[in-house]
This record gives sequence, structure tokens and C-alpha cells, in this order.
Amino acid sequence: MIAYQSIGTALGMALFAWLMQTGLSGVDRKITARIQKRRGPVWYQNFRDVFKLLNKRSVTHGWIFDLGLLIALAGAIGTAMFMPMAGIIPLQGYDNFFMITYLAALGVFGRALSAGASGNPLAAIGVMRGLTQNIGYKLPYMVLVIVLINYYKTSSISGIAALQQVQGWSVLKMPLGVLVAFISLHGMLGKKPFDTYLAPSEVASGPMVEFGGKYLGLLNIAHEIAVFVEISLFVNLFLGGGATLAEFLLKYMAVYLLSSCLGAVMGRLRVEQVVRFYYKVPIGLTILQVLLFTLLYGGVS
Amino acid sequence: MNWLSLIVSLFLTGIAGYFIARIKPSLGAWIAMAASCAALLLVLLGGDALPGGPAWGLIRFEVTPLGWFFSLLIILVFSTNGIGSLAAKGRQHREPVYTMLYLFALAASLGVFAAENWLALFIFWEIAVWSSTFAIGLGNGRKGSVSYFGMSLLGSLMMLFAILAMGSAYQTFQIREALTAALQNPGPALMVFILMLGSSMVKLGIMPFHIWMPPAYTEAPDEFAPALAGGLSKLGAFTAFLVSAYLPISGFMGGSWRVKGLPALSYGLVLLASASIVFGTLMAIRQEDAKKLLAYSSAANGGYIIIGILMGTSMSVSGALVHLLAHALATTTAFSVLAVIVRQTGTSRMDALGGLAHRMPLTFLAFLTAILSLVGLPPMLGFVSKWLILQSLASQGLFLPAAAVVFGSIGSMLYAFRILSTVFLGQLKPRHRALRESSPGVLLSLAILSGATMGLGVYPSGLIQYTAKIEASLGMSETVQTAGLSIRGINGNLNALLIMGAFLIGMVIAGVIFFKAPRSRKVDLMDTYTAGEFIYSPELYHYGTQFAAPFERIYEKLPSISRVYAALASLTDDLGNLVKYLFFSPMPSRTALWISVVTILLIWGEVL
Repeated sequence: MIAYQSIGTALGMALFAWLMQTGLSGVDRKITARIQKRRGPVWYQNFRDVFKLLNKRSVTHGWIFDLGLLIALAGAIGTAMFMPMAGIIPLQGYDNFFMITYLAALGVFGRALSAGASGNPLAAIGVMRGLTQNIGYKLPYMVLVIVLINYYKTSSISGIAALQQVQGWSVLKMPLGVLVAFISLHGMLGKKPFDTYLAPSEVASGPMVEFGGKYLGLLNIAHEIAVFVEISLFVNLFLGGGATLAEFLLKYMAVYLLSSCLGAVMGRLRVEQVVRFYYKVPIGLTILQVLLFTLLYGGVS
Repeated sequence: MNWLSLIVSLFLTGIAGYFIARIKPSLGAWIAMAASCAALLLVLLGGDALPGGPAWGLIRFEVTPLGWFFSLLIILVFSTNGIGSLAAKGRQHREPVYTMLYLFALAASLGVFAAENWLALFIFWEIAVWSSTFAIGLGNGRKGSVSYFGMSLLGSLMMLFAILAMGSAYQTFQIREALTAALQNPGPALMVFILMLGSSMVKLGIMPFHIWMPPAYTEAPDEFAPALAGGLSKLGAFTAFLVSAYLPISGFMGGSWRVKGLPALSYGLVLLASASIVFGTLMAIRQEDAKKLLAYSSAANGGYIIIGILMGTSMSVSGALVHLLAHALATTTAFSVLAVIVRQTGTSRMDALGGLAHRMPLTFLAFLTAILSLVGLPPMLGFVSKWLILQSLASQGLFLPAAAVVFGSIGSMLYAFRILSTVFLGQLKPRHRALRESSPGVLLSLAILSGATMGLGVYPSGLIQYTAKIEASLGMSETVQTAGLSIRGINGNLNALLIMGAFLIGMVIAGVIFFKAPRSRKVDLMDTYTAGEFIYSPELYHYGTQFAAPFERIYEKLPSISRVYAALASLTDDLGNLVKYLFFSPMPSRTALWISVVTILLIWGEVL
């Protein structure tokens, strides 16, 4: 039986995920502004935004529009509840990689459902672009993780992180793979040059075009938690997790801010360019990496 | 009650149904429904301990856990589809034949699943093929039944050849005996295996044998398509399980070189199934017709099942069995929903639909569960099977097939969203404003199917334990393990109830924030942000055609296997014409020439 305490820890993890990532994305805004020679908002501006949005009246396009959004947030919260962080493992024994990926995908699907239900074709186009990109970055990412699971003989995220503490980080074993995983992560975070699905000037922010008021607020919360899950996965799987919470958070911030800085200085690719890029470079590098890994480490029982 | 009497009574009910429906057509659907529901009850209550019944010449039955699982699956599909088809109208003229064929197909499938020897299996297999061929022909168009029959003929011939080869080599037709004999005396074992698996792949629609699926699923009568896609195509998986359990490749090709622990032949076949997943997904993404989209998605899903079977580990076989059930439930739901839509709107072209969720919300919810299960998202059954298959792929280190499975999963998000978005979401066309929710019968059948998809997805332990029983009965040394509520993986555990719990907690939190925030104002679907454009027509304000165009452009030039078949057909045609030109000519001189050639040959043979 799962103890109540574990559920408490899990809920705490989801809350912490939101608080930390919302704060960090405020810092991200500040840094981006400074790179672009602006002053930028205060670091806690995103908290203000969310509370302001949640208190605003808005319009709805029907019950599916609402339901999709709830699924999106529930998927994000549910996923964060399983995420291990340094020594803190909320639901010990069940932090399975495939489970977390598919539960996170349910959140993404909920978001897509809500956007589709808005009736705005721009939203549908945005979702199509997002899902097309999704094939591009998830495929190499998941193949690399499957290679890791095969190597470490566990699909538990905390297990993989713990083994890296002993055997050295995965980044040392598959440098090319980590590069690919980082490119994928950059895409998952929707940072430039891979933000074609948001593209305010072409598809009016795509999936988000119809969201305002509390809908945008909830979407924001779901987005920040999803970002937490994506970066934590990267840190846990490729950068050895953390022996202490401080180490984990340091790696987390480094990865996130690196992605932010890169995003701040890049332009946007067109959707075809994104797709072609992903199907050439990351997938090619992944094949090379899997071959190298198999040669060097056997990788097979 | 025994299996023989169950099958015989289904056949007899079919014949009786024909005559009754000739007198009163509306009774046909009721008879089909009542007979299949009664069969469901019997098989459920009898369990796998149901006796096979007396032998009737060659026809002998023996109920095994595997056969029982498949029987339950197919009866579930046929009975729920029977309930759903009660409302179907406008097929009065074909009702008698349809009723008969429907019950014949069901009875024959039950015969296949419990047959004790290969000959009985083949006879029932053929009855199922012929009944479904004619049932497909009752729909609109001939191409569907012709290509179904053509491909099925290929499959049947492969199977017949393998059966006869086993019969002549080992002097037995008994299923287990023949296969075990082949294992110990591997003369024709390789040929038997390839032919048998080939015939399964034809039925499951694995590339390159998938070409029958799109036309057959599109042209079959709307109320038959669910039974065909969800039930009858699963016949192929049954023989695949039998053959790979009793005649494993590692048994007769154990000494040959291996790739990642699998014999090279298994690995090659796994790669073929992987190609089917990738190809099926790519093709599904670019279809404009909802039924064709689902047909290609079935070709892709057949790939997962074959991969699971061929890997042969306890987890992968269990994954294949669960995936079979998950896919059967999901496609039956999806095709039943499409049947309702086609009946009401007259089309299954996705760009001609849109916004239907606002007219038929309950149908939409059922469709949503099916689609989520097809994609493999929790808390649906499709997630459990994909988890099992991915776990075994990862632990065996089969990276290439794993990449195909991952591609299939992520790619299915694209086509699954496409079908949801273009059919049920987006703008409702003015001509569809008068559409109504599905009839109570359809809703009942959809509720049963979606309930099973979700119920088993949240609480899969019982199902997994049964798959362990099947594995034990097939003689596998290791079986999949459960511990309490969780499934024990090789490198991780899965507790579906816990996932559902976490999701529900998330839902409660999201709900509290949502309902605490100020109420929102409901606006019309056309009341959207348009970036300054003026919009008047909902028809034009729906994104449906060439949905994933930027993605489709990458593989525009994907070679099509149907061209190979077309070339083969035209070659046969030419050959026939040549024979006709040479031997069946109306010109007397040519006939005289052949007469003299034959005479010379005869004399040569006699004299010299």
C-alpha cells in the first residue's frame, strides 16, 4: 500500500515544481531582456501574471474546451508527483520512465484537445505543428533513454540517477546522445528556433490562441510543471541526478538557463525547416551514438 | 453445454435467421444480437473449463486458455457490435443474408479457436473467410471484397500448404503434436513456420500484406466494419501464437547466429513488423478518410502484436495478448462510432465533418477513450500493452524495433488528434446542426467497450494473471508476474491504479482552481480570434484537408507496395494474353500448327 506520507511528498513535489519553475521562468524573462538590452520585468512577474489571469473573467467554447484543459493540468500534476529529485523519491518503486513519458503525453493530449475544441483553425494548425515537432524530438530522445535503460538494467528514473552517482554520468558515456537529448529538450521547451507551433506572427500563438483569463492561467501552471518534468528528466537521466538537493537544483538551473540563453539569441525556423532539421541531424547523431554505445559498452546482456 | 453444440447452434441460428429475416427484415439484427449475446454469456459462465464436446469425424474441439481468450474477445466484439447495429436502418434487402453471414463468421471463428487439429482449423478458417468476403460485398463497392478475398486466398493457400507438409512429414494433423514433431525433426520446420506466420500476417494486415485493409474497411457495410476490424482480423494472431509457442524459431534454428539474443530469422521478422508499424503510421497520417486512417493504424498495430509474439519473453507475449484485446476494443469502438456518423451524415471523409462532439457528446467520449487507448495513453488498456512491449524491447536491447514502436506511439498522436480534431472538434457545419446523439443501443455497446478499455486499463491485474495462465498453458517456462496491484516488469513495476490515482488528484486540484476562479461566458464557435479577418462561413473555417501537410511533404515519394502488386497483376494478365494468343486463337492456321507440333511430339515419344 502506498502510505499517505508518500502521497503527501508527491503532492509537495508537484507544488515545489510549480513554485520553482515559475520563479525560474521569471529569471529567464529577466535574462532574455538583458540579452536584448531591455530592463525586463521583476523575477516574480510570472506569479503576478498567473494570479491576475486566474481572477479574470473569460470566454469558453464549450465543455470539451474546459475538460481538455483540466486533463492538461491533471496530467502535468500527476507526472510531477512521480518525479524523483536527488534523494527525494515521492512514490518509490513506481518512477518508471515509460509511465512518466506516457502520463506527460496525456497532459499534452489534453492541451491539444482543448485547443482543438476552441473551433479556431489557427489552434488546430498550431497543434499539428507541435505534434509534428513532437515526433522529431521525442523519437531520438526516447531511443537514447531506451539504450540507457538497457545499459543500467532499470527503467526507474531514480535508479538510473543513483547508478550514475556510482558509475559516472551518462554524459560521459554518450556525449553525442546528450547533445541530441539537449536539442530535443530545447524543442520540448518550445524555445527558439523551435517555437514554430507558437509562432505569434503566423498562427497567432497557435494552440493558445483562444485561451484567456483563467484558461491561460491554468495553461501557464500546466506548462511550468511540464517544463519541470522535462528538465528534471534530463538531469536525472543524463547528468547523474544529484547527490544532494543543491547539486540537483544547480544542474537544473544550468540546463534551463542555457536553453533560455540559446533561445534568446536565435531566430525562428519555418515549420518545414524544423521538421527537416530534426529528421536529419538529431536522428543521424542518434544512430551514430547507438552504434558507438553498442560497440563500446556492449549495451546488451 | 459444450463447444460443439455452441458452434452448431450458432450455425443453425444463422440459417434460421436467414428465413426469419426474409419474412420480417427488422428481426435479423435482433437475432444476430441475441445469438451473440447468448454465446457471450455461455462462454463467460463456462470459462475455459467448457468441454469440447464429442468428436464429429475430423471436427474435434478442445478449449484451451488461449482459445478461450480469443473466443471471449471475438464474441465481445460481435455481441457489442450486434447491440450497436440494432439501430441500423436501410439495409432491408440484404438483412437476411447479412444476419446469416454474421453468425456464420462468429461460429466459424469460435471453431478456429477451439479446433483440435489443423484440418478442422482450416475448414473453419475458410468458412470465416468466405462469410466475411460476402459480408463485405454487401457494402458499397466490389474492390473491398475482391482484395480481401484475394489476400485471404494467399493466406489460406500458405496455411494449407503448411498443414499438408506437416501431415505428410509427421503423419499427424493434431495441432500440438504436429508442431512439436516439427521441432524435434526439423525438416520442413522452417517452411511450416514461414508459411504459417505469413498467413497470420495476411490476416493481421502486416506490411506487405496490408493492402486489403483500407478498401475492405471502407467498403464493408458500416455495421460489419467493427466486427471485421476488431474481431475477424484477429484470427491471424491466434495461429501466430500457436505456431511461435509450439514451434519457436530458437527451437529449430537455435544454432544459427543471433542478433541481440534473438535468432536472425526472428530478428528479421521483427524488423518486418517494425516496418509495418512505421509505414502504417506514416500512411495513416496522410489519409483523408477516417476509415482508411483507422485501417492503416490497424496495420501498424498488428506490428506490435507480431513483435510481442516473436520476442517470446513472458512480458512480450503478455503484452501482445493485452495489445490484441486493447486494439480489438478500441477499433470496434472507433468503427461503431464511424458507423453512426456515416449513417447520419453519409460520409466518413474527415474534411466534410467537424464539430460533431457538440451534437453527440456521449459518442464523442466513447471515441475519445478508444483514441487514447490506440495512442497508448494512461489510464487506458492500450497503455498497459505498450508498456509491457516497450519494457521487453528495452531489456532485450532491440533498439531498432524499439525505435519503430516509439515512432508508432508518437506518430499515432498526430493521426489520433487529426481524427478527433477534424471529425469531432472544430467548426460544426450548418448542415450538421440537426444531427442527434447515437441511439440507446449504440450508446450501450459503446459504454461496454469503453468501460472495458478504461476498467482494464486502471485495473489490469486480473487480465495479466490470465495472460500468465495462457503462457503457462503454452508451455512457456517463465510467465509474467503480478504483485498485488502492480505488474512486475524486468526493470520496473507498473501500478495502473496508482497512476490513475495521481491523475485524479491532479484533476481534483485542477478542478478546484477552475471552479474557484470566476465563471466564464460561453461563446459561439465562430466567435474566435481571427487576426483581423472577417469570417462568415463555418465550412471554410475548419482546418481539415491535408492536415499534416508539412510532415507529409517529407515522405511524398514513399514507394507504394500496391504498385508492386499492380505490376504483378499486369504481368499475369500479359502471360494470360500470351497463352490465349498462342493456344486459343480463332485462326485455323495456328490451331493446325499446334496440332502438328503435338502430333510430332507424340510420334517422337512413341517411335524413338
